[in-house]
Parts: sequence; C-alpha cells; structure tokens
Amino acid sequence: MSQLLEIKNLTVTVPGSGGTVHAVRDVSLTLRPGEVLALVGESGCGKSMLCKSIMGLLPKSARIQQGSITVDGRDITLCSQREMRRLRGTLMSIIFQDPMTVLDPTMTIGAQIEEAVAHVDKSLSKKQRHARVLELMEMVGIENPEERSRLYPYNFSGGMRQRSVMAIALAGNPRILLADEPTTALDVTIQAQIIDLLRDIQQRLGTATILVSHDLGVVARAADRVAIMYAGKIVEIGTAEEVYYDPRHPYTWGLMQSLPALSKGKESLHTIPGMPPTLVAPPKGDAFACRNEYALAIDYEQEPPMFQITDTHYAATWLLDPRAPKIPCPMGGGLHG
Amino acid sequence: MINHKSKLRYYGTKLLIFLLSVFLLSVLVFYISRLAPGDPLLSYYGDRVEKMSVAEKEWARDKLGLNDPIYVQYGRWLQGAFHGDFGISFKYKQNVMEVISLRLGNTLILGGIGYILIFVLALGLGILCAWYEDKWVDRVLCRFGTLSCCIPEFWFSMIMILIFCVTLHWLPSSGAYSFGQAGNIPDRIRHLILPMSVVLLNHPWYYGYMIRNKLMEEMRADYVMLAKAKGQSKATILFKHCLRNVFPSYISLMAISVPHVLGGTYIVETVFSYPGIGTLSYESARFADYNMLMVLCMLTGIMVIFCNMLGQIINERIDPRIRANEVLESSEVSSL
Repeated sequence: MSQLLEIKNLTVTVPGSGGTVHAVRDVSLTLRPGEVLALVGESGCGKSMLCKSIMGLLPKSARIQQGSITVDGRDITLCSQREMRRLRGTLMSIIFQDPMTVLDPTMTIGAQIEEAVAHVDKSLSKKQRHARVLELMEMVGIENPEERSRLYPYNFSGGMRQRSVMAIALAGNPRILLADEPTTALDVTIQAQIIDLLRDIQQRLGTATILVSHDLGVVARAADRVAIMYAGKIVEIGTAEEVYYDPRHPYTWGLMQSLPALSKGKESLHTIPGMPPTLVAPPKGDAFACRNEYALAIDYEQEPPMFQITDTHYAATWLLDPRAPKIPCPMGGGLHG
Repeated sequence: MINHKSKLRYYGTKLLIFLLSVFLLSVLVFYISRLAPGDPLLSYYGDRVEKMSVAEKEWARDKLGLNDPIYVQYGRWLQGAFHGDFGISFKYKQNVMEVISLRLGNTLILGGIGYILIFVLALGLGILCAWYEDKWVDRVLCRFGTLSCCIPEFWFSMIMILIFCVTLHWLPSSGAYSFGQAGNIPDRIRHLILPMSVVLLNHPWYYGYMIRNKLMEEMRADYVMLAKAKGQSKATILFKHCLRNVFPSYISLMAISVPHVLGGTYIVETVFSYPGIGTLSYESARFADYNMLMVLCMLTGIMVIFCNMLGQIINERIDPRIRANEVLESSEVSSL
C-alpha cells in the first residue's frame, strides 16, 4: 500500500446554536509517506476540523457523518478513544496554531516533552528519557537544552514555544505530522525560520506532513503538493508546481492574485470580493459561485465534480467542462507558456 | 531565583501591612463596641443592676474606667495589651485570656477538623463532578449541593436537634462533653457528631462547586488539547495538568475562606451551646463584655488577615506565572 493516509468522502458536522455547521464536506485526499501536503484556505473553511478529525480530537459534539480516514491501512474513524490514544504521538502528531496557550503554564518545558517521550516508550529509564528530551530540544533548534528544559513556558518567546511544541510532536517519531497553521501566531521573521525547520526535520526524518495555512506564500517553500480548500471542500489539488504555475480554479486564481508579491506596482492588494459562505447551510451548487467573476449559470445549480487535469492535478470547477468557455488564467503563465 | 535583599523587603512589606491592619482593626472594634448600645454593667452585675441607684452605677462605671473618653480608654487598653494584660471579663470576673484558653481547644477541635474535612471533601466532590461532567453523578451532586448549602446553618442545626435528639434520642443536643467527662474521647465524639455534620453538610458544596467549574474550565484549555494529542489519558490530564493549574487558586480559596468557615462554626457552636470561642463571642457581644469582645475580635481578625496573606504568599510560591516578572528582571531571558 503506497498511501500512508487516505481520506475518503469525509463529512464532519458540528451542531451549533444557529444550526448544524458542515465543517468538512465530502473531502477526499491522500498522503504518501515522506511527502508534504499543504492545505490552504481562508479562515473557517474547515482546515483545522480536518486535522482534528485525523487526530481523533474533534469536539465531543462533532459527528463524522460519512467517509473514512484510513491511516496505514486502518480506518481510524472506527477506533475507540483508547485505541486512538495509543496511535497519537506515534502514528500521528499535531502542532497547534497558538504556541502561547497550548503549553501547560505550570510545568517545565522539559517535563512536558518528557511526558510525550514517556508515552511513546514506557520502558525508558528516567535518565534515558531526559537524554531523549535534550536530543529533541536540540533537534528543533533550542540551544542550551539542559538549562532550558528546566524553564517554564513563560520564560520562552513565541518561536521557542513553537519549537518546544514541535519537540513534543516529534517525540514519538510520528509517521504523519499535522502542522495546523504553525506560524500564524508568530512574527513574520520567525515564520520563515519555523517553516524551514519543519521542512528540514521532515526531510531528515522522512515524516509525511500536512501543513495547514491560509497563506499560499508561506507554504510555497515547503510543500510537495498543495490542496486548496473552500467552504469545507477541496476545490483544487495538485503538485506544488501545478497549483502555483497552472492553477485552474477561480478561487486559486483569487488567492494567487492576493499575494502581495503579485500586486507589486499596483495601487492596492487584490482581494476576492465578498465573504465565504457560512457553513450552517451550504449553498446549492458551487459555494464559490457568488464570489466568482467567471461563474457560469450551472455553478448556481449543481456542484461541480472534480475534473482531472493531469494524473496528479484535479480541480472542482465547471470551467474545466469541455462545454465551458475557455478562460485563460488571469495571471497569465501556465505550465507550458 | 529571588535574591536575598528583595525577599527581605517582600516579607518586610507584608509584615508592615499586617501590623497596620491589626492596629486599624483594634481601633475600629474598640470604638464600635463602645458606641454600640448595651450596658456593660449588666454583664458585670447581672440582674442586680436594676436595683442600683444612679450614684452607684456612676461609681461602678468610674471604677471600670468607662467614663473616660474612648481614646483614653483605648490608650489604657493598648498599654495593657503590650504587657500581655487584656483585662478581666466583666461576666466571668476572670482574666480574659484564662477564660478563652479554657474554650479555645473546643473550637479548634470543631473548627479545625471541620475545616480540613470541608476542603478534603470539596476537592473530592469537585474532581468527581468534573470527571463525570454532565453525567447523572454530576447532576445529582450539584442539585443536592445547591439545596443543602442554601439552608441556613442555625435552622439546619435545629432540625438536626429535633430529629436526632428530641425524637430519636440518639445524640446529645448540646455541650462538648457530658458533665465530668472532659477526658472521655468517645463521649466527646458523640457530642461532636451533630455540630460537625451541620458544618460538613453546609460548606463543602460551595467549594466543591468552585473546584468543579475551575477544573472544567481547565479541561477546555488549549494545553489539554496538546496533552490529548500527546496521548495522555483523561486521568493524567485531570490530575497532573488541570489540578495543578487549579491548585494555586484552591489554596488561596482555602485561606480566604477561613473567616467564612469560622463564622459558620461560631453559629453552629451557639446553636449547640458548644463551649467554644463562638458561643463566647456571641455572649460577649450581647452583654457588652468589652474586654472579652476585644480579644476575641482581635483573635479572629488576626487569623483572617493572616490567612489572607498566607493565601497570597502560598499562591505566589506555587504558581510560577505570578513570579514571572521577578524572574524576568533577575535572569537574562532567552529569546529566539
């Protein structure tokens, strides 16, 4: 089996006061061992929910309506909490968005990493565990680990905390690493460092990684493949090259045009008009239609299927239907000139 | 991490605040007790006061020093207090400290044991409810707790007396021990059962509920999510992470609640005629037994102020976040 992670038709709903939120809608994707998949989309499009479903950390009220998440040949949507607990840390780990709040404020950094180490291998002696903690801290680029392991989270800067969270995530040599917007809460200067570190460690350990971000620019330097998510659905997925140089979905075009680098010399940044739809009652047809300047009549009626462009490149837009008018990518370019 | 000098200054400041509070308290209590209605002669002479002439009363007042301006009386009291002389009780005609020392043990037994049991019970209840959040255990305990902690202690005490003493004749209704049985431990325990049950049925819910809510709040914190992602079990997360985060506030809660529990004990003592400080305070306030009232108020007040400060100090020592600023100042902090 070549796929490490295979998500099929996953739908997750969360009941809320205003109605049931369809956070993840019919998402299918795969992850091969050792590859980095970037998951890009606006806030609230279901990226974090997708990560949490893979970790089995969905809020109590959330329901997996349909679909399966197969990790290493095993459908984890059928696993009990106890079984999930065993898988967490070793099979998959997660790095959360906000390093300022995810560390226990009353426990030293060393002790918190040690907990993760102890969970993975209970046979280790105290000394061995400590050695492993120092090794992990060094790996994520924390200098003077011996001294720093005795410090509390409040002694650490945001970047250092995120490095500590990474050390915790990597303690069990997980096969899948989920990085849920790992740089969003950090300074711009630190963001690049953390992404580079993530890429560096990923290559050294060969960990398959899902890198979640709302910033195409941030993931550009790290991703092998890119999936674009909108309103709980994946609208375009392909290799980084395909998505960056030959984007096919109008939403991807909008995201690309919104990159500051592409607005150089222009008066203002490009923006996608309108707001993402609320996921309480997803609209009929294509959820992006009302913000899409290239929307066709059918977009309001029927959801577009995934059109295959190449072996690896898919996009869900009616523009790819043979009957649709040919619209060139507004940024020009394209893979072949 | 805090150097020696600043530590000295820290405790010095605390001591100064403590002494100042105690002094202010003594002035306040002294003035209020003397300005409040009530005739101290009544407690000194009892019913005979009614037969005394005006001149006799004046003479008695003069003798007890009650005709001087209040600040002069206060000065005299303060002077005596510094020499360890707190005057005599008008009612008992005995040195105040002697009367109190006879009763203090009884209150310490009821209040002290009650206090410890309250907080052990509250912690257990809180953890139990947080563990079974929104399950029937949690719901039943919460409902029952709300009900029983809303019942006033004096009423509850009387109902208990009615059931267990008057109707069933199982337990004694008053006192700390049967006549001449001061050293008889089983007898003392029998006398303690009712007052103690009232204290224990009344107080722990309130604190247990606080623990429950704090724990539940912590269980939703982000670090719990990380702990779960690390593969930690619910028990580990609850006991190792959440409880640890709740503990500082629990300790300070324990310290701050001393007056509350103490007040409750006083009421219970009074209803059960339990010979402790509570009954004594009640009597002294009622009969304007100034010297006695003064010492009891000071004792209680010092205890309250001390406990509040202790709570604060313990809190700062346990919770590293509170000391963060000091550490930031004194050690070079590593940034990325």
